[in-house]
Order: sequence, then C-alpha cells, then structure tokens
Amino acid sequence: MNRTDDKTENKQPVGTINLDGAEVPFYYGETIYQVSQRYQSNIPTLCYDDRLEAFGGCRLCIVELEGARNPVASCTTVAVPGMVVRSKTKAVEKHRKVLTELVVSENPRGAKIDPLRGLASQELGELAARYQVKGDRFAGKQSGTTNTADDNPFILRDYDHCISCYRCVRVCAEQEGDFAISVMNRGFATQITTEFNQTLSESACTFCGQCVQTCPTGALGDRKAMRAESLPGPIETTRSICPYCGVGCSVDLMTKGDKLVGIRPAMDGPANEGALCVKGQYAFDFVQHPDRLDTPMVRNDAGQLVAASWDQALDRAAAGFARIRDKYGRHRVYAVASGRAPHESAYTIQKWIRTGFGSNYVDNCSRA
Amino acid sequence: MEYTAAVPEPTKRAVSELSDADILRRWRDEPAPLLPVLHAFHDRDGYLSEQALRAISAGLRIPLADLFGTVTFYHHFSRSPGGRDQPRVCDGPICQLHGTAQLTAALSDHQPTAMPCAGRCDQPIPVLRGDQVLVGTTAASLSAQPSPLPPPNPGGIDECVFAHIRDQDRAQLEGYGGYTSLTQAIESMSPEQLLEVIDSSGLAGRGGAGFPTGRKWRAVADAPGMPKTIVCNADEGEPGCFKDRVLMDHDPHALIEGMAIAALATGAERGFIYLRYEYPDTEKILTRAIAEAVEANLLGNNILRRGMRFNLHVRRGAGAYICGEETSLLNSLEGKHPFPRNRPPYPVTHGYENLPTVVNNVETLCAVPPIIEYGAEWYQALGKGKFAGTKIISLSGDVQKPGNYEVPLGLPLATLLNDWAGGPQPGRSIQAVTMAGLSGGFIAGDDLDRCTLDEPCLRSMHSFLGAGGVMVLDDSRDMMEVSRQAMSFFAHESCGKCFPCRIGTQRLTERLALEAGPRDFQAWRAEVEDIGETMKATSACGLGIAAPLITDSLIRYFSDVAKNRFDK
Repeated sequence: MNRTDDKTENKQPVGTINLDGAEVPFYYGETIYQVSQRYQSNIPTLCYDDRLEAFGGCRLCIVELEGARNPVASCTTVAVPGMVVRSKTKAVEKHRKVLTELVVSENPRGAKIDPLRGLASQELGELAARYQVKGDRFAGKQSGTTNTADDNPFILRDYDHCISCYRCVRVCAEQEGDFAISVMNRGFATQITTEFNQTLSESACTFCGQCVQTCPTGALGDRKAMRAESLPGPIETTRSICPYCGVGCSVDLMTKGDKLVGIRPAMDGPANEGALCVKGQYAFDFVQHPDRLDTPMVRNDAGQLVAASWDQALDRAAAGFARIRDKYGRHRVYAVASGRAPHESAYTIQKWIRTGFGSNYVDNCSRA
Repeated sequence: MEYTAAVPEPTKRAVSELSDADILRRWRDEPAPLLPVLHAFHDRDGYLSEQALRAISAGLRIPLADLFGTVTFYHHFSRSPGGRDQPRVCDGPICQLHGTAQLTAALSDHQPTAMPCAGRCDQPIPVLRGDQVLVGTTAASLSAQPSPLPPPNPGGIDECVFAHIRDQDRAQLEGYGGYTSLTQAIESMSPEQLLEVIDSSGLAGRGGAGFPTGRKWRAVADAPGMPKTIVCNADEGEPGCFKDRVLMDHDPHALIEGMAIAALATGAERGFIYLRYEYPDTEKILTRAIAEAVEANLLGNNILRRGMRFNLHVRRGAGAYICGEETSLLNSLEGKHPFPRNRPPYPVTHGYENLPTVVNNVETLCAVPPIIEYGAEWYQALGKGKFAGTKIISLSGDVQKPGNYEVPLGLPLATLLNDWAGGPQPGRSIQAVTMAGLSGGFIAGDDLDRCTLDEPCLRSMHSFLGAGGVMVLDDSRDMMEVSRQAMSFFAHESCGKCFPCRIGTQRLTERLALEAGPRDFQAWRAEVEDIGETMKATSACGLGIAAPLITDSLIRYFSDVAKNRFDK
C-alpha cells in the first residue's frame, strides 16, 4: 500500500545518498525507505502505511548503513547527505527471511486469506511467497485470539491471523481520530483491544473500516464483502465517487460479474486519502436491493402506490405544491436540498423556490 | 510490621476518604500526572475498577481504550477487586534458587502471584504486599527488613559512591552534612566548568549503556528548548541488580544533590526520579529526603538564594522491565503506552515532552557530588590502569558473601568472587556467573579466571558489564534450566513493539524448555542461532538485542549440557 508523495513535487532535493551503489537525491525530512520507494520499491515491510507515522515495529525494512553497528529500520531513519545504504545484502535478506519465518510461525499454518477481506490483506502472504517461507520453521504457540463474541455486521476480528503490527490501532488514532482500539498486555501476549476489551459496538468505534483496509493479514475482515467469497469469478474494481455526502471520497467499487460485492476507499483519492465513513464503506446494499424503486410511484384513488411515468409524477407533485401555496401562502413551502445532490441540482432547487414561489425558504443539509 | 503467624494476615490499607474528584484535582496540574493518579485510585480501591478508569480518562483527557491498554501493560496494576494486596512473590533467578515455589505454595490461601526479580537478591525472598516488602524464605520468617548495607570495604580500596554510605544517619540531611558540592558549584563554578569536570572525570552511564555523562549533559546544555528536565532512572528492573536501591535507601541526598548539580550544569528546571514499583520503602525515603531538601532551600524556586530553580518529583512505576529503557521510561512518565521510541532523535534533544532531557542512572548521579568535591583526576584514578572510576557490582547467588561491592573498574572477577566475597559455598565450585544481570549472558569456564570487570574485556567475551549484576551459579545448577528461566523473563518483559523480540523471546523460551522445535540437536541449534542472530541485528531496543546472549553463551560454554537433552 504505497502512494507517491506528491507533496515533494515542487521541492528541491537537499542532497544525495548512496543507495545500493547509486547516488540518489532526497528531499528534506525523507526517510531512507521513502527515498528507496522512488528508485526500486523493493524493500519489504509489514507495519508501514505511508499515511501513518513510521512505527519501526516489523523490522523487515532494515538496511545496512555504513557507520552503524547494526542494520537500521529504513522507515524511521531520516536520510542525511552522504549516507551509504545497502538494502539487499545477503545478511539483510537472511534476517528478512528469518523475520518472515518468525511472523508466519505465530499464525495458523497454510491459511488462505480471501482478498475480499481487505485491501492490504494479501501482504503477509505475498511476503511469505517472496521469501519462500512455508511455515515449517520456528514452531510454537500462536499469539492471536479471534474475537468470536464481536458479531457486529461490518468488521470481522479474526485475530488468529494478527501479527501485532498495530496498523489498525494507529490508523484509528492518527487518521480517523477515534482512538477506539488499542494494545493490551505485552510481548507475545499482546492483543488488539477496545476499552475494557468490549465489542466494537460498545466502544468508540465508528465503523469507518480503515483498520480493515490497512490490515496486512486479513485478521480484520470486511464482513459485507466477505459474503461474496463463494461467488465465482474474479474481483473487478471500478473507480467512482461516494454518493453519500459533499466530501467526494474516491472509492473503488468491487464487483463479481454484475454484482456489487464491496467498496474500498481509494488510497489516492484526493479528498479522502484512503478514508471512508461507515456509510461510504458499508452502506451499499441498496444498490441492488429488490426493494429499490426503479420507477416513480403515485397513489391511486384508493391510496395505494402504483407505478407511474415521470410526467404523471411531476404533474401530481406540482399540483400538490400549487394547492398548498394557493391555500396557505408561499411561505408554507420550505426546501432543503440534499448534500448528496450535485451543484446543478442544488442550483435548480433554489431557483425553483426563489422564482417559483418568490421566497427565500431554502437551505442545504450540508450546512447543518 | 511482621508476619508472626505461619499464615500472614492481609496488610491493612489506610482507608482513604478521597473522592475521584479529589484525586484528580490533587494531580491534574502536576507534571507527569498519570502514574500518580493511577496509584492513588489503585491504593484507594485496592484495584483499578472500570469506574476509576472512566473517571481518569475524563479527568486527564486520555482516550479510554488507550488508558485501558496502557494499564494492562503494567503487571502490578490489578484489575480485579483486592488484587493490589495479594502477595507478589519474587521469582527472580536467585529467589528461585532459594525456594520461590515452596514459599508461593505456603501462601496459597492469599492468591499469591509471581513477580520478576524485585531487587532483593542479597536477602531473598521478597514478598510485596501493597506498600509493604517483606523478606524471608518461609512464610513464618517473612518480615520487614531495611535494605542491607554494602559489606564492609575489603580493605584499602578507595570508594566513590559507597565512601560514606555506612555512616550513621547518612540518609538524613544532617547526617549527610549539607550539599557542599552543590554549594561550591553554585558559588564558584560556571556551567561550563561543571561540564568540563564531569567530562574529564571519565564518568560514564552506570545503568548499563556506558555513555559518557559529560557529553550527555553538554548535549542537553546546548540543545534549544525549555524547560529542560533531569530524569533519574531508578527503575532498577534488571534481575540480579539491587545497587540503586541501597544507594537511595541509605544515601538519598547524594542522588538529590547529583541531580541538582546536573540541573545547574544543563539549565534544567524540573526533575523526576522514576522509581520501580517494587521499592515502596525507597519511595518514602526519597519523598522525605526531598522534603528536607526543599525545607533547607536546596531544591525549589530559589535554591540557596542564588536564583536557581529546580523542582524534583518522584514517580512510581507499576511493573514493567522495559520502562528501564530510557525512551520507554519517558513514554511512561508522559502517560503514553510505554513502547520504546525510535531513535534518533535522542532524549538529549527530544526527551520528556519532546524537550531536552538528561536521563541518568542513580549510581551515575550519586557519583557527581564526590567528583565535584574531589575533582576529575581523583575519580579517574579510582579505576585500575586506563579505566576511570568505579562500578557497583550487585553480587548474589552461590557465593558466601553476597551484596553490593564498589569495585575499581578493571578488577579481576576472581578477586571479587574469591577474595572479597569468600568464594563458593564449601564443597562447591563456581560453574558460571551471569553478567549485566541477565542481559550479558553467562561467563564460564576459563573465562572466569581471565575476566576483568571492564567493558573491553567483557566485550571480548561477547558479554558486557551493563548495570553490574553478577549472579553466581555453582556446579549444582542446571544451566539449561537457568537459561530457560532467564529467557522466560525476557519473554515476559518484551514490550511487543518489534517482531524479532516479541516472537523471538517466546520461541527461544519454548526451545530452552524443549516444548517446541526440532528434536534433533543440530536442527535445534540452527533454529536457536538463527533467531538469536536476527534478534541481535534487528531488534529495536536493548532488550531484544541482549536476550540472545543467554542462548549464545549457553551454546558457547555448555553445548554438551544442551546436547544431552536430545536423543541425537
């Protein structure tokens, strides 16, 4: 999960470092890992999410730094002019393999994580494949405990697969500002928890789903998308804009065949940078719901709703508004435009109230 | 207070009438309020209830999930009623040799739990009950005892921090004799002169890292940002180390004076002593000594009427070895989850509240007043040969006279063990000693005779002096079992931030217990060595880097012992 940081585009480099034999420029404040991203993008990580403060937990991004006794974590080491960095020596690769073997050893063997669980859910599997780790070394206790009591409809907490990278805890605090989840106990007994280890519904969680999307193992899963695990066919994604409010979050709609199966925030969405809210993330069932209206409805003389044409429906609405205005006066009509509607619709609504009724009784729900 | 019956009575907790609001009002505007607030609720209620945490969360504006998670990090905070007063029985390496298991069984009616080494290895076994430490190897013999003084000087050895510790009434200001070094420093020395004296004395960090004290102070003096802070690391959590306790219990004013001189040299205005939970008596001694110093105008806002401001606070930890790591300690003081921080930046520029901060060990700070009094050259000359100064060694285990010894750096280990401490028990021989508590692994075999107590020699033996804990293991001890206990301590105390330490300490413990891993010795050894190498190279702090020295030295000196546990 990596974005190019476009904030550096208009800046001048402050110096160069030697990265695996090549002199490469860097910008003020960049870490070795960030520099490397532009040139080779091949340093592995598990605890890194470029939206979050670098944590330095997984140690997979270690590199050799000339003058330093031990390898350093490239994600937390700020580049300084003249640094000589080696990112793929035999020793470094050996440590990465051992670290991967260790982290694989704390989880159930041979588990297949469906990509529908979350955007980053394949990261551990990909890393294990890269280092040809089959899970046959470092046998021992498993660290996580799946929270089966938490039956909320959105977020699966399958901590058997947790590797304690704390990306979920950090995204909740740093991006969402909810501070709903935290770290309980110490060492190998560490668990991801909420206040008093309650369910998410009882906690400060707002079900924005960001923890799910940043989880590198699928320990957190998107329960709504996972309903489609057994549907055949590949997952296709289509870039769109969330229709719910005026922010305009970029989303990727996930489909299997002609079925919408889930929604993912776009990490490169200019308005949201990977964030969504509970509605944008999970409230999409209406799209293909059998109860969804696909034609206007008007009431017949018996008071029952029946299908109608747009002309019939609009005539009926116009007659109703006209009757209210004629009977009670123009100030008995007040319009509130939806924040979900585009500018053009908002303009039309105010035009309709101002010129149609001659009143200023108009507002927009985004103001509330 | 003594336990007179075989089955001890629960200690009486002073009934507190303080309301939640009283406690929060008392501490809310103090620096570093979270730990004292948690302790106040813990002491009042006997545990940390859900209601208490909700009040603290609201009162100190800390997210509830964060607060809950942080509380669970510390093993002495109890979350169930009555938990605070249940006995904690030390299961440190030395106490286990003296019968932790039997004592725990004898106390079984009182729901005892094990606690890691509580720093009483010279007088086992400590049992902590709320605010009270009792010592004894049987339930009937448990009683409150003052910290043992260091054994008498073996004769003709110049001491620095122990020179006056055995004097009558040394812990009282009157007996201490006033802060002559601080007075001298304020009246006739510039901060620059102070830094020069400390620099040229060769004093280096006595908590284990050995960083030159003068350079650290100078970095803080030069760093921009106010107010600056002096933090005394008194979280003596290393198993087999009990030197800081004896210094604070018997010479608290030396520490306070040392901190005030550090403040004068660096321009710091506030100070903390971060004291481990297991030393409740020491907290009372320090609090009393600070009050005496404030009364005598040796601490406060206008010290000795010279306009110097330095206010000193004691903060009590709650059970977490990692809080002896300086950046974890700072996070703990700030009320954050006590993971170590990423470095750089270092505390000298970004310490307490991200401002310049000196973090020094108790022994380092206690050495400051005599250095100011007698001069840099005097201190330098205390060491043997090229080594500057002295080091306290906490000696315990299978030796006739355990205790704290202040040795000249460079002293042969054999001199300490045999000439000073009387050697092994009759009929026994010394099989191995631990170094740096447990962090330096073992020294054994011929190295026991070759070893001198200084970093270059110990580094050449793949170990280090560290905080100076030396535990002696005679030929009756099972080195595989000693190693398992040691690694299980590191696993228990690993904070969980970095992967190599969190998983590695667990996997090594399982392998030393032969609970998991290959059943073939060569394959077992390959796994143990791979884990160890990666831990040493990639761990984020000293805990994960040091822990594999246990397995390294086990394999180096006792490969046969390990091999015998396998069929092939």
